[in-house]
Amino acid sequence: MPWSDIPAPYRRAASLGGYALAAVLAGSEIVILALALNPNVNADYRAYYIDQTTTCLNRDATGSYTLGQTVSFRSDGAKRAASIKVCGWSGSAGDGTHSLGETSRLRVKIPPLRDSLMATLQMAAVIRPPQITQRVVISVNGVRVHAETLSGKEPRTVSFVVPPAALGKADTLEIAFDYLDGIPPTPAASDIYKRSIKLVSLRLDAI
Amino acid sequence: MALEDVARPSAGARAMVMTVAAVPLLFVIGGLAIRYAAFASVSEETGFAAYARALCRWDCAWYIGISEQGYERFPIPNHSNVGRWSFFPLYPMLVAAIRFVFPYPTILIATVTSIACSYAACLVAWPLLENNMRAYVMYCAFLLSGPFSFHFTTFLSEPLFVLLTSCVFLALKRSSYLAAGVSSALLSATRLVGVFVVFATVIQMFSEHRRQGGSALSFPRWLLGRPDLLVAVLISPAGLFAYILLLYLTVGDGFAFLHVQRAFGRVAGNPLVFLWDGLSAVPTTGWLPTAPQWSALSAIAGLALSAGLAARRQYGAALFCALCIILPLITNLASMVRYVIGLAPLTMLLVVLLSASRLIWLAALVLFLGACYLMTVAWIGGYLALV
Repeated sequence: MPWSDIPAPYRRAASLGGYALAAVLAGSEIVILALALNPNVNADYRAYYIDQTTTCLNRDATGSYTLGQTVSFRSDGAKRAASIKVCGWSGSAGDGTHSLGETSRLRVKIPPLRDSLMATLQMAAVIRPPQITQRVVISVNGVRVHAETLSGKEPRTVSFVVPPAALGKADTLEIAFDYLDGIPPTPAASDIYKRSIKLVSLRLDAI
Repeated sequence: MALEDVARPSAGARAMVMTVAAVPLLFVIGGLAIRYAAFASVSEETGFAAYARALCRWDCAWYIGISEQGYERFPIPNHSNVGRWSFFPLYPMLVAAIRFVFPYPTILIATVTSIACSYAACLVAWPLLENNMRAYVMYCAFLLSGPFSFHFTTFLSEPLFVLLTSCVFLALKRSSYLAAGVSSALLSATRLVGVFVVFATVIQMFSEHRRQGGSALSFPRWLLGRPDLLVAVLISPAGLFAYILLLYLTVGDGFAFLHVQRAFGRVAGNPLVFLWDGLSAVPTTGWLPTAPQWSALSAIAGLALSAGLAARRQYGAALFCALCIILPLITNLASMVRYVIGLAPLTMLLVVLLSASRLIWLAALVLFLGACYLMTVAWIGGYLALV
């Protein structure tokens, strides 16, 4: 019914009701917008979805691990590897696990240690000429412990010492891989799809 | 004599109503038969349930998840970074409500609901097509038995989106702004781009104001003096705001539907570059365009039809359709074919143009029905351009 068809005695009441409803709608929408502009989320969510400062969404994943064990990241070790992959990895394949994005993380539970650890990784670079090398910076529990430049498609064994400073009294070991030369699959692809390395295996030994 | 005069037009009107109701029904049955034949040609299973499952591809699985389990909180279960938040809630909620009454598998309920929505969208299109029977028949054929009819008959947002878009434009045609506002609110809870229809409402109000002799400068004052129009404008995005509130309460982030796009790999870029990249993806073998080429071509065709709407002085519909194409185009070409064919004003313009000549109309009708079979096979096979 057009507005003008409302009988005159009721028009004023309808008009006031209309303005009141419009005010309620506008007010509600402003309040909801204000809530949306101030999200109530944790740091991991904010970093990945809102600020987009990382391509690796931190998750509550910690795998069990016995020192001296070799974890395979090929298809044969998929189940075991899955428990320690936090983020930034694709599924295990025949030739290893591809990294995804600009950072990847692994997290394992370890017994208390007094001394250093020796980490041994098998990794291969993902190359697409003209880019034929991949620079990887490895950090343990937030402490930078090693930097490597990988080249060639064949896996290379990389060993480095994890100093006590990186271990501290923590009962978990978080290994972060930062890639400086990730290759996007297409020029317009999102940075979460960048490829850098294939991880084949991981082994940790007490020194 | 007088009685006969009254009875004759009434009988004619009744026959017209019967025809308008029967035409889409015919295409519902015809479309089901064609798509089932396509399904039977590639599947070893038989039966309506297997057919409905086979046509449930791509985003359909997300809608089933929302309908059955709602939206996830954060962190997302199974260590996933892809939440369901990018899919708007109205249609899965509607299916969930119907399933509450009729406890059948979700995909069965959704398939029947989608067909019902598309059927209703055809009925609403009748007055929008100015009672042009030829165009109406072609429109019904397109939605219910056409090359993309699987989009309008499975669990995707398109059936409800087309229905509500038609309702908004019918209400605007009749200057029923409150009805348009309520339909717009529902539309904005169906897909994000639905919120853009508010611009069509404002443009229609502006046209009415100008028709009444008002100046452009006096429009804001005129609008503020009409509380019914204010309510119509302010209620239009209510569906979107309700969803933002729901996400804030569930995830803590009202804009999660935007932020989660990152996990789907969508990044903002230059739409022209995306179009050029799509057109440049030439086939390595054969002459058939590649999926990116189909997507780019459909975006261009959609924008051209939007310009056609503007040329016909349907500025509101033109702006709405252009925005509905350009917004997703900012991220990439994914699902572009589906987005374009789901814009009711564009499809209506297309069928009106094709109906101008009887021969072209007949040829297009035959083409629609034939392509329905082939495209359904392609859809079941996962052809990327149809995603």
